[in-house]
Amino acid sequence: MIRLFLFLFFSAIKIFSQDELLDLLNEEPIEPLPVQATFKATRIVNSQSVELPRSKMLEFMVQHRFGTVENGFYDLFGLDEAAVHYDLKYGLHERLAFGLGRSSWQKTYDVMIKAKLIRQTEGQGKTFPITVVIFSNMGINALRKDAIVKDNFANRIRYLQQLIVGRKFNESVSLQVVPTWSHKNLVPAHEDEHDLFSAVLGGRIMVTRRFSINADISFPLGDRPDSFKNGWGLGCDIETGGHVFQLLLTNARGGYEGAYIEDASGSLSTGEIFLGFNITRVFSI
Amino acid sequence: MKKIFLFLCCAPLLARDLYITRSGAVSFYSHAPMEDIVAVNKQASCMLDLETGSLAFQVPIRGFIFPNALMQEHFNENYLESHQFPKATFKGNIDHWLELKIGPDPQDVAVTGTLTIHGVSREISESGTLARAGGGINGLATFEVAPADYDIRIPKIVRNNIARKIQVTVNVKLQQK
Repeated sequence: MIRLFLFLFFSAIKIFSQDELLDLLNEEPIEPLPVQATFKATRIVNSQSVELPRSKMLEFMVQHRFGTVENGFYDLFGLDEAAVHYDLKYGLHERLAFGLGRSSWQKTYDVMIKAKLIRQTEGQGKTFPITVVIFSNMGINALRKDAIVKDNFANRIRYLQQLIVGRKFNESVSLQVVPTWSHKNLVPAHEDEHDLFSAVLGGRIMVTRRFSINADISFPLGDRPDSFKNGWGLGCDIETGGHVFQLLLTNARGGYEGAYIEDASGSLSTGEIFLGFNITRVFSI
Repeated sequence: MKKIFLFLCCAPLLARDLYITRSGAVSFYSHAPMEDIVAVNKQASCMLDLETGSLAFQVPIRGFIFPNALMQEHFNENYLESHQFPKATFKGNIDHWLELKIGPDPQDVAVTGTLTIHGVSREISESGTLARAGGGINGLATFEVAPADYDIRIPKIVRNNIARKIQVTVNVKLQQK
């Protein structure tokens, strides 16, 4: 009897001591770390997200926007026509990336820099609640010389500056707000403003580990003409290893960076909306 | 009698001969038709009780460094779900501890215990070596882990990129606490 008791007693100690060792290891907390994957791609739908191309990785992105869906089967809901923007971005560092792009609209080339100023962190101890990114883009139209563009190179240039403030609230919900300043060196009419300010809201809800619903919309700050429309996009992310596919609907077709902010043309009421997709492919180099 | 019992009770706690590291290396290697993947973690903690042969490991999942940043993100986000299960742990015993003598030459040992990854615990029994080096003890082990055993789902599209069985290598240099 007493032997059995002793045996049970010692086997109990043994199990206890293993757990105790683990508890001793556990005493050291895990340091706060930057959150990962606030968004799956570097764009939400039309707008830039707080994500940068990963460090030492080259990212190729195609933004493809079909024609308006309003003609139905005649042009297969716009699939017969397309406006495209391609870009190639490289992550120099986990917090700094640059890129080059090209749009079919007005034969615009663009260069961009994206830098992560502050990172949201999670873990035990002192954490920071938001990520802050600056995005700076310069577009250069490469149309042949005509009466409007003339010889002055500066007339071809437009700028877009954004401060992207985002937060991953939990594994499924991320939101961001983006104060935006756009500047055109040349405006179409005398009364048009060179500098325009706006705010873009965007977010996502994850449905599964590899699928999310995304949306973004822009709001002007200051006056706009009556014909102005808020650019919006609604889409989904589908992630398959090294690719992210984004299928979307939007009222802004324009291919160049920031076209969705000031140049959205369509609206749901007229049926002038566009199907489109973004494809992101990354290469490790 | 009561005193003897109390002594027996406390003795294992008081007379501890603990060896520990906070910077052990755990790496894994996945060999698949499309690609080979290697990741290294140098933040593993390990503790060995020289009295009893009890052993514990704790490995922060975010500590695994991949050569490709996107892969690392997917590893955490999609496979190991490190936000939910931030650590992998092992607790167990070295078999026949009292009969073993650890000297400067690597001594083969068998380890039995519970490995917990991705919130799933399984009993495992693997072999490794222990050797005295300097004032400490070095431990080395290589074994295989099947992601499916730990409820880590790998979608069809990447089946050819990730091995069914992952080779894990553990290398710790323990110092007396």
